[in-house]
Amino acid sequence: MAVSWKATVHSAMGTRHQQRGVPCQDYGDYVTRDASIVGAVADGAGSAKFSDIGAQLAVKTVLSNLEGWLARQSSLEQEVIESQVQSIFESALDATVLALDQEAQAGGYALRELGCTLLTFIATPTWIAAMQIGDGFIVAQTSEADPYQLLFQPEKGEYINETVFVTSEQALDAMQVVVKSGVQPLVCAATDGLEKVAIRFHDWQPHAPFFAPFKSCLQTMDVPEERQTYLETFLNSDRLNAKTDDDKTLLMCLCEQGP
Amino acid sequence: MVGQPEFVENPENRCPVILLVDTSSSMQGPPMAALNLGLEAFQDAILQDEQAALRVDVAIVSFGPVELVQDFVTIDHFVPPTLVAQGLTPMGEALTYALDLLEDRKQTYRTNGIQYYRPWVFLITDGAPNPTSPWQQAAQRIREAEAQRKMSFFAVGVQGADIYTLSQIAPVERPPLMLNGLDFRSMFLWLSDSMVRVSSSTVGGDMVALPPVGWGQIAT
Repeated sequence: MAVSWKATVHSAMGTRHQQRGVPCQDYGDYVTRDASIVGAVADGAGSAKFSDIGAQLAVKTVLSNLEGWLARQSSLEQEVIESQVQSIFESALDATVLALDQEAQAGGYALRELGCTLLTFIATPTWIAAMQIGDGFIVAQTSEADPYQLLFQPEKGEYINETVFVTSEQALDAMQVVVKSGVQPLVCAATDGLEKVAIRFHDWQPHAPFFAPFKSCLQTMDVPEERQTYLETFLNSDRLNAKTDDDKTLLMCLCEQGP
Repeated sequence: MVGQPEFVENPENRCPVILLVDTSSSMQGPPMAALNLGLEAFQDAILQDEQAALRVDVAIVSFGPVELVQDFVTIDHFVPPTLVAQGLTPMGEALTYALDLLEDRKQTYRTNGIQYYRPWVFLITDGAPNPTSPWQQAAQRIREAEAQRKMSFFAVGVQGADIYTLSQIAPVERPPLMLNGLDFRSMFLWLSDSMVRVSSSTVGGDMVALPPVGWGQIAT
């Protein structure tokens, strides 16, 4: 059975950033390898000077690290990932912090100036393994019949404007990991700019009518540019900007089972 | 045809602030009048920012005697009261009352899934606590709450204020300020600007840069 992933990602600048002339500090990307996909999104800390660079570097580093892990596996059985999940993501985090540290040294500034959140996942046709440091969300469906699931509650301090970054000392302690079995017809990862419209805070449930259109977009639009336009138009819409003035990134992935 | 994502209706984030206002009889006349006008300027300024008007959650506690003049309300629903000066200065009781009020409010936020910013408690006084007022205990609670980052405490003295006592109450890192004359208007405009900045701060914005204080002097 042929399995393939369709994915689309975009980051849009928040209106507050536009007004203040601050660059978009979000970044998101993915790579596919055989029947697997690795995705990541990051939100640069508002208080960190070069967090736009940090977010981009963190995403690229973690993707290449996890893709490297995938390349080394002869088997992608769920037992393999379950026994290794913590160490896989720990070493991915180490690699990310190392890359950020080198960048900071090269640029002559402090590591914290590259601070960002990081959400990443590996999805195969039978399981998803995910990791999150800081806020934002990963939502997945474990089968066609199941409701959307929020994989982690965003890590926040008591106050909304506080969270943990990969550059924080507590990053490793704050790192949440999970493995879930299932086909994962839909996986969405996003930065916290979309939390408020996509997740019901009262009980931390994903709002299905938010996610369903992305699924049908992936199902019905075969031309990548068409999907890109759909996502960009949404992320830059006045309707969304009226609800959130922060940068926002969405990575949406759909697993298609071929004949 | 693919439809558009629908949004969940989450309550707006809140940015709580308690104004703790000395309404003892020494505030009678021009100080009280200037303060009342300042409250109106505070609301008008925040209303200019649509988002802040929904987020800034203000309560007013007056003392002389301790009274909850205005329970927490967002600025879009706030009706500035006309405060009347009368009585003594039960400052310690008022501080304790405000801290309890704040903890109750946080509990309400949590119960309702409302996310919030670090609260501000803003004390304005022109006098000294009553001799019997337990202000030392209150001061200790203020300092503990500040150290635990439960809130940010600001003390403003108006002409005649007992700055020595105020500096025992205010956290060491944020000493009391003496208001220039009766320029409550500038003070409230600064407060509204600060609240707009805090209430629009996003992740990592823990260190919100506050506007410069042009309305008072650090009292030493």
